[in-house]
Amino acid sequence: MRVTQSMISTSTLRHLNTSMSQLKMYQDQLSTGKKITRPSQDPVVAMNGMRYRTQLVEVQQFKRNLGEAYNWMDSADSALNDTTSALQRIRELTVQASNDTYEEGQRGNIAEEVRQLKEHLESLANTKSNNKYIFNGTNTTNKPVDLENDTFSTNTHDVELELLKGVKVPVNVSPQNVFSQQMFNDIQQLENMLMNEDTTAEELSAMLDTVDGHINNAINERAALGARVNRVEMMDQRLQDQKVLATRIMSDNEDADLAEVITQLLTQENVHRAALSSSSRIIQPSLLDFLR
Amino acid sequence: MISTFHGLETMRRALSTQQAALYTTGHNIANANTPGYSRQRVNFTQTEAFPNPAFNKPGIPGQLGTGVKAGEIQRIRDSFLDLQFRGENAKLGYWSTKYAALERMEDVMNELDNGNAKVINQFWQALEDVSANPEDAGARAVLQQRGVAVAEAFNHTYESIETIQRDYRDQIGVENSRVNSVLNQINEINKQIASVEVHGLLPNDLYDKRDLLVDELSQFMNIEVERVPSGGNAKEMAEGRYTIHLLDNNGQRLNDIVLLDGSTFEYNEISVTDADGGQLDGPVTEILIGGTAIAFEDFNSNGSLKAMIEAYGYMEGGEVKGIYNEMMQNLDTMISVFVEEFNNVHSSGWSLSEIEAGEKANGGAGYNFFEFADPHGGGVQGSAKYLKVSEAILSSTDNIAAAREVLDENGDPTAYAGDGSNALNLANVKGTQLNYGGQTASLDSFYQGVIGRMAVGVSEASNMTNNFQSLANSINERRQAVSSVSLDEELANMIQFQHAYNAAARNMTAVDEMLDTIINGMGRVGR
Repeated sequence: MRVTQSMISTSTLRHLNTSMSQLKMYQDQLSTGKKITRPSQDPVVAMNGMRYRTQLVEVQQFKRNLGEAYNWMDSADSALNDTTSALQRIRELTVQASNDTYEEGQRGNIAEEVRQLKEHLESLANTKSNNKYIFNGTNTTNKPVDLENDTFSTNTHDVELELLKGVKVPVNVSPQNVFSQQMFNDIQQLENMLMNEDTTAEELSAMLDTVDGHINNAINERAALGARVNRVEMMDQRLQDQKVLATRIMSDNEDADLAEVITQLLTQENVHRAALSSSSRIIQPSLLDFLR
Repeated sequence: MISTFHGLETMRRALSTQQAALYTTGHNIANANTPGYSRQRVNFTQTEAFPNPAFNKPGIPGQLGTGVKAGEIQRIRDSFLDLQFRGENAKLGYWSTKYAALERMEDVMNELDNGNAKVINQFWQALEDVSANPEDAGARAVLQQRGVAVAEAFNHTYESIETIQRDYRDQIGVENSRVNSVLNQINEINKQIASVEVHGLLPNDLYDKRDLLVDELSQFMNIEVERVPSGGNAKEMAEGRYTIHLLDNNGQRLNDIVLLDGSTFEYNEISVTDADGGQLDGPVTEILIGGTAIAFEDFNSNGSLKAMIEAYGYMEGGEVKGIYNEMMQNLDTMISVFVEEFNNVHSSGWSLSEIEAGEKANGGAGYNFFEFADPHGGGVQGSAKYLKVSEAILSSTDNIAAAREVLDENGDPTAYAGDGSNALNLANVKGTQLNYGGQTASLDSFYQGVIGRMAVGVSEASNMTNNFQSLANSINERRQAVSSVSLDEELANMIQFQHAYNAAARNMTAVDEMLDTIINGMGRVGR
């Protein structure tokens, strides 16, 4: 084949251009850390990348929801703990008062303390966490218990958070189970009995069973809550694993293998240098340089 | 009898012929870098020998050579390679234009890290946050703004594609007039060539110019060149005038359309029109060539013109098609189906303001989250362009319906502020299998499909462009091997011709000395 100067320069230019675009591709991979910078370079990687990123975002969001769930449950747990202590104190006071040697003034003091404890229980029922009433079902903007107006929570709807794809977990403690109208009525009755000097020790002792019943309610509810916390902790563990997995899948899909890219870049650079130096030697001379 | 000055005449011819060859070499060197130039060669032929074989021939031992003459100056070119090159060039024109069009769309919809999918994900996150904290004004405000971001992202994508489409409309106009200008120039050169050829000359440089223009024309559409002899005193190797036919993808003449007629020196202007004619503003319906109209669906001639129209948009079977139109239709379908379902779920829930009022707004219909700005007609078309967050949501975040409707103790519908389950339902709309224009998919997977199809299209166009580029390159290389100027070769020729010229001059000197002997030295015996 006949080869001319213009052919050499055209093809040299074309090959240098191809080489440059290879260099650019490796440079892009190195500077972005990704295999591709445009979807068309690998449509499958691009499409999977979209899916994996969505998956990762979901896992991250569920982690965030999990924080919210812990917030609810931890607040409820500590409120229930205080509730149990308050009820136990009421029980102790009832036991004390059922001693017939207590005179009227002393019973009056006990009645006063029970009243204070009742108000304490009201404030526990009205516990706010994150600016929400946590013992009022979904009606979180209103007080569940208002002794003054004698209103009690009627909301029976659970607050549910999505903690895994499609898995909704109730995070609240139902108000009717612990802070029931019955409990406040019973405490009120106890207070009234203490105020009444005709109340006998037996009658007061009889109240112990009632108080015990409410203590059991609080403890049972707390146990149920503890079981749910365990479940949520297991989900937490699972989300941790999923996050690692999702990140790894995403990285496998679209991250460039730096060692490989650098090797390829160096190889390509050598090729490019060789092409440049050989071009500079071939393009220059012609027969003209050797005539006369 | 041989003439006294025979030797002088022979050498004079040699001198002038070598000189012509040297000048042609000079012309070749001068045009070594001229695009489209084919190297030229002087065809040397011996002049007629003396004497003629006739009865009155002089009695000399044999025929004596009378020297050389420059037969003709010919350009070295292989027309078969031209034919191949133009066929590939039309395909290259088609695919490279298509690739450029798709690449511009890919620029707009580069979904690798930042893109509409990310905005949708953020919107989903905001919904999840509201479902966890439905009574929180902060979470609601984030959701409202993320909603605005979704609307703006799709408005922007849609409008960017529209802008590119408008650019292509202008580009079609430019392309159209370039085709016409090239046809006009070829026609003019045809005329010049015809007027030169009839005198028995070969207008090599005009041939080159014309072939360069035909090469250019071949990237716009598939064409075939037919030669029409100029007649008169034209030489056998004269190339004649060109008649250019339009070919379809299979290399068959398309409706016998003649773009340029070499025998009548007429060419047919091309114009691309839409349904209402005049200024191009709608999808292309037909292409007018001279007086003949071809519906665009029948205009299957590879080349950049076709690719450009396919990018811009055209009518096929009463439907609007085109790379950009189809993408916009996809976005419209996606948004209109998603928004309809999203609004259904949203309006079924209760917002804080409705909980406050104790009844659903708008006579029980509730609020829509998204709506479409004017002049959206309510159909699918333009949904992505005119998408916006509804005025109700923009005016107050309390109108976001995060709570689900439940029945209170009296059996009346109500809802509670702490209930985020409707927000959760809204978040799940993204993953709900819906009917997106006949395709059952979730929002995510539908959009992934759209992006995937686009990416595969770009990648295919890129591969095809590369393939045809390398085919065209290799054919062009073979063409160059035949036609391009080699400086080494020209220098070698130059030396060769120069030596021949010198030798002829020396020979002339020898004849001169011989004549000197005859004229000045003879007949002076003893003087």
